[in-house]
Amino acid sequence: MKALVVEDDREIRTLMQSSLSVEGFEVQTAVSVSEASALLQHDPPDLVILDLGLPDGDGAQLVSEIRRRSAVPIVIVSARHQEALKIAVLDAGADDYLTKPFSVGELLARIRVALRHRGTALAPALIRHTLADLHVDLELRHVERDGVALHLTPTEFNLLARLVRSAGRVVTHRQLLTDVWGPEFTEHTHYLRLYMGQLRAKIEADPAEPRHLLTETGVGYRLAVE
Amino acid sequence: MTEPRRDWAAAFALVAAASLIGRLLDSEISQTSQAMIYLAAVVLASYKLDRLPAIACALASVTAFNFFFIPPRFTLAVEHHEHLIALAVMLGVALVVNQLAAGLRNESQAARLSERRARQLQRLSKDLIEAGSEAEVRELGLREFESAFAGPCLIALRDELDAAAPRDSTRDGLRCCVSEAAVLGPGTSRWPGLDAWFVPLGDKGHVFGAACVRPALAADVDAREHAQALCSLLAHALWRLKLSADMAAARSEVERHQAQRTLLAAVSHDLRTPLAAIVGAASSLQAQRDRLAEPEQRRLLASIENEAAYLSIVTENTLQLVRLAGGSLQLRRDWESMEEIIGSVLARVRQRDPTRRIKSRVPRELPLVKVDPVLIAQLLTNLLDNALKYSEGAVDLTVQADAGELCATVKDRGAGVDGEDAQRLFEPFVRGERSSGERGAGLGLAVCRAIAIAHGGRLTVRRRSGGGSSFCLALPVEAEQPEQAKA
Repeated sequence: MKALVVEDDREIRTLMQSSLSVEGFEVQTAVSVSEASALLQHDPPDLVILDLGLPDGDGAQLVSEIRRRSAVPIVIVSARHQEALKIAVLDAGADDYLTKPFSVGELLARIRVALRHRGTALAPALIRHTLADLHVDLELRHVERDGVALHLTPTEFNLLARLVRSAGRVVTHRQLLTDVWGPEFTEHTHYLRLYMGQLRAKIEADPAEPRHLLTETGVGYRLAVE
Repeated sequence: MTEPRRDWAAAFALVAAASLIGRLLDSEISQTSQAMIYLAAVVLASYKLDRLPAIACALASVTAFNFFFIPPRFTLAVEHHEHLIALAVMLGVALVVNQLAAGLRNESQAARLSERRARQLQRLSKDLIEAGSEAEVRELGLREFESAFAGPCLIALRDELDAAAPRDSTRDGLRCCVSEAAVLGPGTSRWPGLDAWFVPLGDKGHVFGAACVRPALAADVDAREHAQALCSLLAHALWRLKLSADMAAARSEVERHQAQRTLLAAVSHDLRTPLAAIVGAASSLQAQRDRLAEPEQRRLLASIENEAAYLSIVTENTLQLVRLAGGSLQLRRDWESMEEIIGSVLARVRQRDPTRRIKSRVPRELPLVKVDPVLIAQLLTNLLDNALKYSEGAVDLTVQADAGELCATVKDRGAGVDGEDAQRLFEPFVRGERSSGERGAGLGLAVCRAIAIAHGGRLTVRRRSGGGSSFCLALPVEAEQPEQAKA
């Protein structure tokens, strides 16, 4: 599998290159948005790791461009205090994010989840999710916890379904609001707070320390897969 | 009856009265005394009445005296030259007394006016000491001008004149006055044809504005000087306000620089220490790897990872504090659920709490708060990490909502803090007296407090009965919660 690492800092680039090679990837590197664009045209990879602090652009446009042509998994790397940019790039189509400084373990875990979702063009849509005491079946519209069926309102179910379809990956507030309520509701984050609260109350043993419905502060939500 | 007519009536009444008295006492007194009675009437008239009625009174007295008492009686003829002299003297006296009296009256009026003006200056001076803003100074000035001068007066400050405003002659006059920094109007060498005086507030180099004073009479130098004195007081007050504002700004600038310098010194120490540990461990691995036992190698590697993680925390905290203190940090506030923030905090902190010492109690259906979730998460993480590090046993995390506030409290059973120590804890790079050799990112609590304050809340600490500390974060809850969605 081919991976493209776009990172201008030499130490981090080398580190990512070596960790990915050890995992069996064939790694190409680029130090700028323009170099990345060129490589993507000629030799499309199966995975893209993109740093947000590039010298000739912030990567958001690159992600939109990539998404116009392909569904290759993209994981972005950002520094703290780049929240707004990070969210913009996630909304533009990146799959997940890592915050510097990150450990190699975290990097590989995110890559695994991203690949699972977009790895091949014919990957089946996720319609079933099971973890610990929770089981969700989107086709049968059935949610149970510890064998007991849960009753969810239509909105609660749609919200959970959206998270299941991206299980393991972060879904931004904007993506959730657009997909569950509609594009006019992208500023209504309070809806999310209320409904996620209701979902947690029904699904989690301790809503204040959730096992399944994880909050990514300032970014969105993630359904745990492990 | 109007004043002048009253005066005339009084003049003739006096003459009539003097004649009557003279007539009544005719048999008892000599001509000289009768003359004196008329003289008395004339003096009284001259003192009290205006010039013309007074002169008329004098003439009428002389005529009456001549007619009624000087032989031959009931004629205007005069027997002896002596009587002519008496008559002339009476007239002379009347005129002189009238003149003196008028002069005296004018002087006393002028003196009263001066006294009123001096009192006004004193009052304005006293009031201006209390004035706290340019608008107040202008109000006080206008009040005094309106009581000192009859016509419509106007005071305008420099910025008001600069701003685009309807152009009228008064504003033009004020602008011209400001730019020339001199008095314009009647009696001065500049624009004497105007209908008002334009007096600058201040002088060349520092003109704060100008005043327009009406009525303006060219000859009334005292009035113009009084206007100038009032303006001078106003200018002084405005100058004082400007200076104290400048001084306050300079002082806070100095404080900020001082704070930054202190921070720099403390931070460089806190950065160098872990770096030294990293360099030491890494170089040891480089040089002696073949000879080091496996566990020792693992220990050195773990040390590098831990020290680097600590370095990362210190760096972030430092940057955070500088941003918060400098006011440049933009809070990204949105409606947030405390339950969610705590969920994400616990997810991260549990990695450092394998035995689950932290016990959380978060009620359902808490009101939403308008906060920056990343900062609040950082604050709570800091508090929990501190509790884990500086204490043993259970750590309680509870949330409560009441009376317009949401409080998140972290309680531990550590050494606890005393009264004064408690406040100093929140300053950068101070640790409690009894904290053990454990290292802390000395900035942690300073950052936490800065975050709390930036949200309009507070972070406080108190001793727990039974030992330990209780850190409480209080955040304001807006009375208006956002609209509920449909199910």
